[in-house]
Amino acid sequence: MRLKLRIWRQTGPTAAGRLEDYSADDVSPDMSFLEMLDVVNEGLIRQGKDAIAFDSDCREGICGMCSLMVNGVAHGPDRGTTVCQLHMRRFKDGDTVTIEPWRARGFPVVKDLVVDRSAFDRIIAAGGFVSVNCGGAQDGNNLPISKEVADHAMDSAACIGCGACVAACKNASAHLFISAKISHLALLPQGEVERYSRVVAMINQADAEGFGSCSNEGECEAVCPKEIPISNIARMTREYAKAVFGAR
Amino acid sequence: MAITLDAGIPSGPIAGKWDRHKFEMKLVNPANKRKHTIIVVGTGLAGASAASSLGELGYNVLSFCIQDSPRRAHSIAAQGGINAAKNYQNDGDSVYRLFYDTVKGGDYRSREANVYRLAQLSVNIIDQCVAQGVPFAREYGGLLANRSFGGAQVSRTFYARGQTGQQLLLGAYQSLMRQVHNRSVRLFPRREMLDLVVIDGKARGIVVRNLTTGEIERYAADAVILATGGYGTAYYLSTNAVNSNVTAAWRAHKRGALFANPCYTQIHPTCIPVSGEHQSKLTLMSESLRNDGRVWVPKKQGDKRPPDQIPEAERDYYLERKYPSFGNLVPRDVASRNAKQAADEGRGVGESGLAVYLDFKDAIARVGADTIKEKYGNLFQMYQKITDEDPYKVPMRIYPAIHYTMGGLWVDYNLMSTVPGLHVAGEANFSDHGANRLGASALMQGLADGYFVIPYTIGHYIASNPLPKVTTEHEAFKEAADSAQKQISALLAVKGTKTIRQIHRALGAVLWDDVGMARTEASLQRALAAIPQLREDFWHNVSVPGTPDNLNQSLEYAGRVADYLEFAELLALDALQRRESCGGHFREESQTPDGEALRDDEHYSYVAAWEFKGVGRPPELHKEPLEFDEVHLTQRSYK
Amino acid sequence: MASSRLRVFDSTVGTKILIGVTGLALFVYLLIHVAGNLLVFLGPDFFNKYAYTLEGNALLPVIEIGLLLVFLLHVYKTVKNFLRNQQARPVRYERKSYAGRPSRKSLASSTMIFSGLWLLVFIVIHVKAFRYGTEYAWPAGGRDLYRLEMENFQNPLMVAFYVLSMLVVGSHLWHGVSSGFQSLGADKPGWTQVLLPAGKGIAVLITAAFIVIALWAHFAGAR
Ligand SMILES: Cc1cc2nc3c(=O)[nH]c(=O)nc-3n(C[C@H](O)[C@H](O)[C@H](O)COP(=O)(O)OP(=O)(O)OC[C@H]3O[C@@H](n4cnc5c(N)ncnc54)[C@H](O)[C@@H]3O)c2cc1C
Ligand code: HEM
Ligand code: HEM
Ligand code: SF4
Ligand code: F3S
Ligand code: FES
Repeated sequence: MRLKLRIWRQTGPTAAGRLEDYSADDVSPDMSFLEMLDVVNEGLIRQGKDAIAFDSDCREGICGMCSLMVNGVAHGPDRGTTVCQLHMRRFKDGDTVTIEPWRARGFPVVKDLVVDRSAFDRIIAAGGFVSVNCGGAQDGNNLPISKEVADHAMDSAACIGCGACVAACKNASAHLFISAKISHLALLPQGEVERYSRVVAMINQADAEGFGSCSNEGECEAVCPKEIPISNIARMTREYAKAVFGAR
Repeated sequence: MAITLDAGIPSGPIAGKWDRHKFEMKLVNPANKRKHTIIVVGTGLAGASAASSLGELGYNVLSFCIQDSPRRAHSIAAQGGINAAKNYQNDGDSVYRLFYDTVKGGDYRSREANVYRLAQLSVNIIDQCVAQGVPFAREYGGLLANRSFGGAQVSRTFYARGQTGQQLLLGAYQSLMRQVHNRSVRLFPRREMLDLVVIDGKARGIVVRNLTTGEIERYAADAVILATGGYGTAYYLSTNAVNSNVTAAWRAHKRGALFANPCYTQIHPTCIPVSGEHQSKLTLMSESLRNDGRVWVPKKQGDKRPPDQIPEAERDYYLERKYPSFGNLVPRDVASRNAKQAADEGRGVGESGLAVYLDFKDAIARVGADTIKEKYGNLFQMYQKITDEDPYKVPMRIYPAIHYTMGGLWVDYNLMSTVPGLHVAGEANFSDHGANRLGASALMQGLADGYFVIPYTIGHYIASNPLPKVTTEHEAFKEAADSAQKQISALLAVKGTKTIRQIHRALGAVLWDDVGMARTEASLQRALAAIPQLREDFWHNVSVPGTPDNLNQSLEYAGRVADYLEFAELLALDALQRRESCGGHFREESQTPDGEALRDDEHYSYVAAWEFKGVGRPPELHKEPLEFDEVHLTQRSYK
Repeated sequence: MASSRLRVFDSTVGTKILIGVTGLALFVYLLIHVAGNLLVFLGPDFFNKYAYTLEGNALLPVIEIGLLLVFLLHVYKTVKNFLRNQQARPVRYERKSYAGRPSRKSLASSTMIFSGLWLLVFIVIHVKAFRYGTEYAWPAGGRDLYRLEMENFQNPLMVAFYVLSMLVVGSHLWHGVSSGFQSLGADKPGWTQVLLPAGKGIAVLITAAFIVIALWAHFAGAR
């Protein structure tokens, strides 16, 4: 099939960008979305033109590197799917596809479709960990954790840090991302000690990075490739309330 | 320079070697650690765990990776699990058994002492990860759950759904970020190491390209750790992440680090088959699927009927037939080779004929679709996403693909390469898996190296060597930076008409066909003739668009392919030199009457470590003999 | 200490909690208000007596001031928050679409600031017309609010403005009610399934009730 592409091109962080038109001929339905872009890039390279920059690494939906807005939806139309796992059979011959980078103050554009997500690293550095040094940990089975709790924690821990939640949110809020980590660690006994300092530190960091707040729209949940529900955000609010108002 | 390969294995009984060695190693005064800078390249399991542990100890650590965040290293993709000799299941596991299985699984081509240490440390890894909050799967009673995994007859594999690598890496990453917060680790993401800087015979720094600004940056240190992963993407199509590369290891090799056993590559039997030329990578379906899926092909050649129309009697469950005691659970190399054989016999399935069936019909009938869904739901979903077929109804089509590379930079017992101060951890070194790696053992090795070995051995190196201060103004830094710059200019200057991918794909085809699952004298000679031609082609006809002074993914890719075009020759040469079959290295000339890999212990019981002598010039082979005191060498048999 | 406690409300989550609390408080006021106003159907005697009793309550001024503060706080926080959220995405998307279920995005949720600002204007006009409207005396004591209401709704333009404003109220609450609870951290699997439709249901009921009152006053009051 043949597609018309409108792709955001921007030569650098401070340059002005714009949508440019390309056409992808000969697209096979078995291609992944990124393979389709690879082929477009092959064409550009043959003409000696600068290839379209976009991020990807694992191409199997787990590293969180890929990050494209496809027709106005983060990671494209399939639910629970990163854009690297989106396949072209989802599109029809003659479709026009608009591709943009994640847009948020906290995610400045580096080039074309590539953005800088180091803000997420700084949010984790602010408190998204359990403070144990290596060595001397007690036997793993000394700390029984019910299957239910472990499964629940795993649901939240599944976040791949892609930033689609920020990209989709009208407020460019990072709350789903933060709340996934808060929930993962708040649900487990290992996270208990730093439970309250963690939530405050991470939220303050996200605020300082310029992410917005949450108005409970749930667009984030709808685009999240790991389908992390916004009940995590509610849990984060409770944790935060306990942290700042609770008698401690 | 005469190189003697001294692995430095401590004396004494195997079980006490590591403890004794730990005691004998020198320590760095806690107050002085801050004054020592250590570079860690790579933030996968090995790199992140090493960097965070060294940071905790108080060293000044600089951590580099290619991705935009350390959390995205390729380790994140590991699905199946991590082994540990906990014997929680009381099924007879022990450190000794894990050690034994690993040496046997590696087809007796690994160092006993290293493997024993790995098995010992496996136990601590689980404890450490639990303490970090890694949400391992649990039993209803709240204790850690285990499953059995490819080639093992005990249940010793710990897992976190189908995302074990992700959860382990996030644990290490979070520890790393905690050290970043404490200012003991500084992070340098989107940097690609382009050279190693050796001063007075010691590794003293690296030169990297800042991938966002294009700048060539220099960093000096007292020791350098490479944890840059494997070289599976030499084959173009592999299960590895697309940014995986051999560049860091290769350029260190060119600076004097010997490269060991490059021909030991592992092919994973259960990957989703190739769908067309556009294919950019292959997706692994976790090996755990073989616990319930049955592998088969039609008995007749060229039988193109849909699977449900092929009656039971006309199906060949060839693994069960040939290996009654292991059945579908034979090790990876055996499963892979048998799939290739079926395809070679014209009994492959699917459009291309390059696939075999993995059928869950019987398992679903036995335990119900719900149980299967609970176990493999996300894998089935992934399969369906990619192939548009429903594996609950139609058997999966699978085919082998390059997955892991056992070879890597040669290291001694302290994980130090032949360049003093250059340590190598994780998949990037050659240390523990011999000629074949068992499932769920790579994660174990990466974390053992990073959490529990490197932190000690680095201290020993620093405490026992005079390390006069060097600055990045040193002549050696300048030389390395210039040569990196020169290569970049050369790549941009070719301005040919072929794309980088086109040449990489061609290289991959050569390696897969001639240095792949089954290798012969003739095929290897063919590869050795073809690779230099491809290299020529590349340097004359490649087109690398864009400029060097900003994010230029074509340029990054070109540099990696350029290195692969040199490295591939070594890979083929090593395979040619080893005229025996062992583990993942199968030489058709050397097989038992029923087609099994046949080792030649008398002549090939050594580590092949290669010394670089210049591009296109024959490298020099050094041999580290392997001695087995504990394990009795037998012909592997999974009958 | 006190100042650091207050700073908590500057954070995105503290802000959210405050908007949730004030929004829900206003919602509760509106529930009482609509209930009180429905008494108009019981005739002038009953309605005016009710109002008189209410006004006699010594606590009323305190409540009114409290309500005003809550209202101002709600306006202040929501406007400030809106501006901060705007800054969080300095470059807009060229194309942005609804992401599909289970997103709660709706026209209502996307226009909270506009429905809110409309309400701000409405309330000023409304309070001026009622609270500070003509003081007809009622023989049995207090004001004849019944008469005021009937008169106010004689003007069709006024009725139209009210009907429109009530739709805006409905829109604000369509997203606001469930959102307010979510903002306070109330989200448990079973509870949310009830809360989401219940919030919308109540929004519709409140809107409908107010509209009926306004229309009835217009037509019935004319007689
Ligand atoms: C799909 C898949 C599934 C797997 N499943 C399992 C499993 O279930 N169990 C198991 O035990 N093993 C599994 N493995 C193997 C295992 O995941 C890897 O061997 C292991 O994670 C390697 O870890 P590492 O730390 O050595 O390197 P990696 O995780 O590969 O990390 C390499 C790091 O080096 C950096 N880097 C590389 N080159 C450079 C450079 N030039 N400059 C700067 N930085 C550089 C990268 O950015 C990255 O941070 C699997 C592998 C694959 C592909
Ligand atoms: C009686 C009048 C009002 C009622 C009953 C009311 C009620 C509510 C409720 C329940 C919420 C949801 C709270 C949350 O999501 O946390 C809300 C949100 C909001 N209100 Fe009001 N409100 C009223 C007046 C106003 C006014 C006058 C404005 C003017 C600016 C306003 C602006 C907003 C905005 C912008 C939001 C969305 C906040 C966000 O995005 O998180 N509201 N309101
Ligand atoms: C048909 C619709 C409505 C009618 C008939 C109505 C009627 C009244 C009346 C009679 C009063 C005077 C009470 C008094 O002075 O004691 C009043 C006051 C008030 N109304 Fe309404 N109202 C309506 C809708 C609304 C709406 C939608 C809101 C809010 C969004 C609102 C907010 C208020 C406020 C804030 C006051 C002042 C309260 C006080 O000062 O104590 N009203 N209303
Ligand atoms: S919460 Fe979901 S969308 Fe957000 S970063 Fe994590 S995985 Fe991506
Ligand atoms: S889309 Fe945004 S408004 Fe909240 S629920 Fe998600 S962060
Ligand atoms: S490339 Fe890794 S998640 Fe898409």
